[in-house]
Amino acid sequence: MAAAAAPRRSGLLYRIRVFLRPPRRLRLRRPGGFLVVGTFVLGIATLNTGNNLLYLLLGALLGTIALSGWLSEQALRGIRVQRRLPRAVHAGDATRIEYQVHNRKERLPSHGLVLREMRQPLDDFSTRPRQGDAPLPIQAFAPVLEAGGTARVRADLEPRRRGVFPLHGVTLVTAFPFGLFEKERDLELPGTLVVWPRTDRRVRPPRAGGRSGARIRAGSGAAQGAERGDYRGLREYRPGDDPRDIHWRSTARRGQPILRQYDRQATNEYWIVLDLVAPAEESGEAAVEVAASLLASAHARGDRAGLVAGDARIMPHTGGGGLDAALDALAAVTLSPAGPLPDPAVDRGSCVLVTARGGGGEWGDVIVVEGDPA
Amino acid sequence: MMELHRRLGALLALLALMAFVSGAGLEAPAVVPAALVLLAAVFVQPGERWSSRLEPAWRIAALLLAARAALRVVTGAGDPVLPMVDLLLLLLCAESLRSRDGSGDARHFALTFALLIASAAYRPGPLFALLFAAYVVSATVMLVVGHLLREARRHNAEAPPPARPFLLRVAALSTVVLATSFAVFLFFPRVSEGWASRGAPAMSRAMVGFGDRVSLGQHGTRIEPNPEVVMRIEFPGGAPGHPTGLHWRGRSYNQFDGVAWSSRPDVRGRHREAELWGGPVIEQVVYARALGGANVLFGLHPVAQVDPLSRIRPVRMRNGDFLYVGDGDPAYRVRSAAGRPTAEQLRQVEPEHTPEYLAHLQLPAVTPRLLRLADSLRTSAPTMYDHVRAVERYLTTQFDYTLDLPPTRREATLDHFIFVRRAGHCEYFSTAMAVLLRAGGVASRNVNGFLGGEWNDFGQYLTVTQNNAHSWVEVFFPGLGWVAFDPTPPAAVATIAGGAGGLSRWRMFRDGMDHRWSRWVLDYDVGVQSSVFQRLASPFTPSSPGGAESVEARRPLWPAAAAAALLLMVLFVAHRIRRARRLPAGPAARAYLEVRRAYERAGFPPATAQPPLAFAAALQSMPGTEDARQVVAAYVAVRFGGRELGAGEAARLQEAARRARTGVRA
Repeated sequence: MAAAAAPRRSGLLYRIRVFLRPPRRLRLRRPGGFLVVGTFVLGIATLNTGNNLLYLLLGALLGTIALSGWLSEQALRGIRVQRRLPRAVHAGDATRIEYQVHNRKERLPSHGLVLREMRQPLDDFSTRPRQGDAPLPIQAFAPVLEAGGTARVRADLEPRRRGVFPLHGVTLVTAFPFGLFEKERDLELPGTLVVWPRTDRRVRPPRAGGRSGARIRAGSGAAQGAERGDYRGLREYRPGDDPRDIHWRSTARRGQPILRQYDRQATNEYWIVLDLVAPAEESGEAAVEVAASLLASAHARGDRAGLVAGDARIMPHTGGGGLDAALDALAAVTLSPAGPLPDPAVDRGSCVLVTARGGGGEWGDVIVVEGDPA
Repeated sequence: MMELHRRLGALLALLALMAFVSGAGLEAPAVVPAALVLLAAVFVQPGERWSSRLEPAWRIAALLLAARAALRVVTGAGDPVLPMVDLLLLLLCAESLRSRDGSGDARHFALTFALLIASAAYRPGPLFALLFAAYVVSATVMLVVGHLLREARRHNAEAPPPARPFLLRVAALSTVVLATSFAVFLFFPRVSEGWASRGAPAMSRAMVGFGDRVSLGQHGTRIEPNPEVVMRIEFPGGAPGHPTGLHWRGRSYNQFDGVAWSSRPDVRGRHREAELWGGPVIEQVVYARALGGANVLFGLHPVAQVDPLSRIRPVRMRNGDFLYVGDGDPAYRVRSAAGRPTAEQLRQVEPEHTPEYLAHLQLPAVTPRLLRLADSLRTSAPTMYDHVRAVERYLTTQFDYTLDLPPTRREATLDHFIFVRRAGHCEYFSTAMAVLLRAGGVASRNVNGFLGGEWNDFGQYLTVTQNNAHSWVEVFFPGLGWVAFDPTPPAAVATIAGGAGGLSRWRMFRDGMDHRWSRWVLDYDVGVQSSVFQRLASPFTPSSPGGAESVEARRPLWPAAAAAALLLMVLFVAHRIRRARRLPAGPAARAYLEVRRAYERAGFPPATAQPPLAFAAALQSMPGTEDARQVVAAYVAVRFGGRELGAGEAARLQEAARRARTGVRA
């Protein structure tokens, strides 16, 4: 749960490592390993026996290796990749990332190209890449790219965990032409994949006058338009506000979004306060998902729910933009194993505390999440 | 695509099998059934049901054959390679008949390649080269197609259809493998003695007539012709005027017991004929087959020197014959004197009574009538040389040549040949001459070798077959040495020299190919390798005057090198012209496109996807950006505004383009 230390990107050693970084990486596949060992053995046998035809056969094996190296290099050269990411995806939902791959070579096609998201930045030498390190194993396959042609390929993705994942680039991988060796080339292509927490947890609505005497205002359940009270004035737009309330004339005059304010007597308005302290990662993540589900259900009911999660603070809102902003904030929160209870700078009576360790005090409502509530 | 892949796999196995057969023949029992199965597998594939039914059978048979091969290896009884080849063929058949989706490519390739390795041990003929090339092309295509199939399946994608241009391109790429193979073969240093080779297959019929004892008394029906090649002879210094009439001397015999010739080892000779006769040197490079039991080296009389070219050690015997010690087919270089004493010189010579001379007067028990005949031939001749000529003339004119053998042992004697039958093969003629001369007091001996041969225009060498086997006589002229005489009738000599029927053009071509294949591939060794290197280096090194170089060494390679250089130059110029044509005229357009290319390499959209001004607007702040914008502005002004650049402006623009390229690269 603790944030990883940022890799050191300065100093002589770093510069030397950048300089020495190979432009390509080569891995042996199993048949390739057998071929290399077989070539070595045949070489020894050829030298020992002096049988001239064995020299011919040894040359054929060496030629196969050479051809493999040359063609794999040609397959990786002159390839340009553009990535199209979705705005955000929910953890556990299947989605796709689209890549547009263009072969800039004039004559040679590229065959059997695999596009794999890089697991770490090009200039990060702090850790060796390992198979289990990748939080998102994303890869797409382009069977053939004709010379000068463009293809769109997709990578299926089903992220298991919420988070904001920086995408550093794409590694082009090919085992063309014989599947003996895998050659890799990195293309820097920065991007970010936002994985929101799940919002499909079954949660009860916050109780009016909860166990600590919450002062959550009960609503009539009427349509949102009818819930607006009298016009009260103008203020600056904040994330989570309903865009339909933007006062366009004032916005145009001031050069920034300005919102109309109304008295909202008929709408539930409360804050979801997420406790970022969790004794176990599992229960902490479950609390994040409960908070996200509460926000989603509030949005569905038309309640005005805000969010306080650590430093993130999303004002109570009813619009979809507000929900997105709240989910973005939840995707980015970092849990910790110990610490004080949250102290939102709002009236605790209008707050619903979502916690994995039990709460106390003057909260409007408290939802304690123990382990996986699903 | 899967069907194509499966067929290529079966074809690959078939090619490997044919390569094996081209060397080992049909020795392995499984060859014929395996060939039939593989041929069927090219066209037909059993369904899943049949494949699963066959699977247990393959396994049981493989286990049995593996046990057999292991037993052969452990006991050491017989050739262990053949049972292994049987096992390989079984596995290949099983693999080819399985439903193949690209997953077993590595296994299939390994099996077929193992078969090629096995075939290398049997000295296959030149057909191996063709089959090897076809194998490499098929293997390349099969492995590529199999890889694409596997990758598509792994990524749940559809494999691209097997387009003909793609397959042709892949097949063409196999030339890289072939070229590497050739280069490794040519340049990899040879350090070994080649002990693992099984050597050339033995001659189908052992050659008689060159052992320590040669019997005259064969009888039966007829000497059957045998066109099997015994040796091929090249003349690096140029062929003599009539190469098909040359006598290739092998062994000489000085003792005749009335039935068989043999050689007394204690008879010493001086063998100074080459020195005494003088004349130019005839150089012969002989690539002979091992005759089986008789390690004889052949050459033109008189031989001055024999140098080995293969792993043999020549030994000069006391009687002047050259034998050798070593295994395998002998290859050697012979230097002989081309001169020969004239008739006048020979007429000056008289018999002498040295031990060497007297040792060659030995006679078996001969009949009085034979002695009377010898006397009659001697008395009419004034000199020793005329006496020899008289005997020779008597035999060549009074007797007939036939390959029919005497029907009984009693009729196989020399006396019966001279006085009754008056017809026989060359050994009767030479024996008769030697005995008649010895009876007349002239030292002589019987010589066995080959006469003539077939001149191969395709390979520029002389092919000598078993049909060219011949016997003649050498007469000792004191002070001049041993001089050869041939008492066989000239018509018969022509028949023997021609090799009984001659070789057809196709056989001549095949023989030439076999010879070149053996010489340049199978027997390619350190010596040949260094001569190849010398040839390659010859354009750059001064030629050594008077050096004993082969014809190949003298044939310069520079025309080929010059042609290759010219071709490369033409290709380069064509490439530059084409590139220049692609670039529009004018410094502004060129500078603009160069900058666009530099940015394109750095990941910017290609020029066709973004107009110039949009490109300039999209440039972020980086070194060289301002220069790039300047180039774009100049290009737009020239291209669309009709502005013309002065010489100074063009130079400045080029400089700006250079800075922009440097900036984007940094």
